[in-house]
Amino acid sequence: MTIKTEITDSFIVAKKEFKILSRKKALLIPLVLFPIVMIVFFGYGMGGTVKNAPILIVSSDTGIASSSLVQEIGNYTAKYNGNPMFSVTYTKDMSQSEAESKINAGMYKGILMIPSDYSDRVAKNESTTLTLLTDSADTTTSGLIISFMRQVVAKTGSIILNIPNIYGHLEFLDFLTPGVIALTVFMGSVATTGSAIAGEKEDGTLVRMLMTPVSKRSIILGKTIYQLILQIGRAVVLIIAAYLLLGFNMNGSWLLFSLVLVIFTLGGVGMGIIMSAGVEDYESFMQINMLVTMPSMFVTGVFFPLSSAPNWMQYIAYCLPLTYAIDALRIIMIKGQGLSAISHDLIILSLFAVITFTAGVRLFRREA
Amino acid sequence: MEPIIEIKNLVKVFHSRGRKITAVNDVSFDVFKGEIFGMIGPNGAGKSTTFSVLTTLLKPTSGSVKVAGFDVEKQDDKIRPIIGIVPQKLSLYPLLTARENLELMGNLYNVPKKVMEERIDYYLRLVGLESSADRFTGGFSGGMKQRLSVIAAVIHDPEILFWDEPSTGLDPQTRQAIWKLAKKFNTEGKTLIFTTHYMEEADNLCNRVAVMNSGKIVALDDPETLKKNTGGANLEEVFIRFTGEEVRD
Repeated sequence: MTIKTEITDSFIVAKKEFKILSRKKALLIPLVLFPIVMIVFFGYGMGGTVKNAPILIVSSDTGIASSSLVQEIGNYTAKYNGNPMFSVTYTKDMSQSEAESKINAGMYKGILMIPSDYSDRVAKNESTTLTLLTDSADTTTSGLIISFMRQVVAKTGSIILNIPNIYGHLEFLDFLTPGVIALTVFMGSVATTGSAIAGEKEDGTLVRMLMTPVSKRSIILGKTIYQLILQIGRAVVLIIAAYLLLGFNMNGSWLLFSLVLVIFTLGGVGMGIIMSAGVEDYESFMQINMLVTMPSMFVTGVFFPLSSAPNWMQYIAYCLPLTYAIDALRIIMIKGQGLSAISHDLIILSLFAVITFTAGVRLFRREA
Repeated sequence: MEPIIEIKNLVKVFHSRGRKITAVNDVSFDVFKGEIFGMIGPNGAGKSTTFSVLTTLLKPTSGSVKVAGFDVEKQDDKIRPIIGIVPQKLSLYPLLTARENLELMGNLYNVPKKVMEERIDYYLRLVGLESSADRFTGGFSGGMKQRLSVIAAVIHDPEILFWDEPSTGLDPQTRQAIWKLAKKFNTEGKTLIFTTHYMEEADNLCNRVAVMNSGKIVALDDPETLKKNTGGANLEEVFIRFTGEEVRD
């Protein structure tokens, strides 16, 4: 078996995959539409855009520390599309239950309660507790308020409020698109690779293929070539759609962008092969697929900044490769930074690809 | 007669949920070049497992198996190009047409394009599928699929054919057609090994029949001798005599 025949064989396999895909009209449409729908719905609808979110500060403390804290919050001018994110009002003397009822009534998105001995305690370097109530039904806003307040509180002592412009001049779409691209590529490569293999196991065509002189490597390579073309094609469709529908800017290098996508797709294909190794039919695969891809979707910060997620969620996210793909794509597409800025992401994604691919090839047995 | 398949002390053990299952238990036999060789036996007798070892899909646990002089364990890549397999489970791509399924097989076996096209046309006519050549096989009847599977296994002109239960669930017409194909391929010099549950099929076609039971070969001879030795009127009686009346799982 020479390398040339292996490559020729893998192209035969890839060609077959495309031919079959072109006839699965019912699959073809969602494959292309899924990322567009995500962008449109989340870009327009959910909008991480926080505009004039009402915040109330309750403080009966008139000391220096609390005054400056209140001032810092009040002066915060982060903006989305020119609108300030928060509109802050102040009051004195309110009980926590009273405050909760205001949140329940939807009057405020967040209420910060400063205890009356706050300034004294800060001055004495003693620990003190600030209570922050948020409207947690509105996850986006409350997430932003929490992460904002955390940063303010972290500065206690000198209380200098310096919030980096993470959200300042960003459209939510700019933030969302890299995440949706990474998510689409991940879900797409895992699901289409795995479900195709599981389907071929179910209808016996995989075994039939393994009875031919074609090597295992060629079959996997063929499926990978198919996935690379398919997923990059989808990413391009998504970018064009985001650009046409909502206006979107690419600040970094397309080459780096493609590099991240290729490495990540390889990992996804490997993942799909591993996951399909243990199942005998399509339906079982789809269940396993849900178990693996759904948490990635919600935990890794596709739709919200990871920094505003609770700690436990961040720990999980750091174990998931999607997190690093999103991070790398955001750095390239939003910040326009180069290779050095995404090197740690690339290393982790490459490891992911190497590990899943090696394991996938080993698990993908010729034995039927 | 020259053996084309040599099996010596073949054992295949599966481990499943802590249980050890010996599917093939110390089996030895030869298949001669140019014969039609049948394997019969109740469900779970080890026919399909033996088949999978011969077609390089499973590695033997122990014993030596040679196909056309090549060792199934070490030279499987030499064996695959010269054998043609009709698997028990029909395995055609439903969203490819009959012709595309055949072309895929031809390409995977590296058959030159021109030769392949000629063979495809010839075989499609031979099995009466020329008018359905450009239809998706997903819509084919069981008989059509089986005929297509049979010709898909000869596109690369193999020396040895393996048919695993080629006529199960088919109507008598298709079965007759399959038998005719078996005889035709055999007269062209191909060796054919097949498994079946139809005794008259084995009786009609085979030069020799191996009866398997519980992972062992319990009888191996030409159908006439088997009938004479056991006093059975037909192969079905021979079969029951060797394998008992108990229904298998």
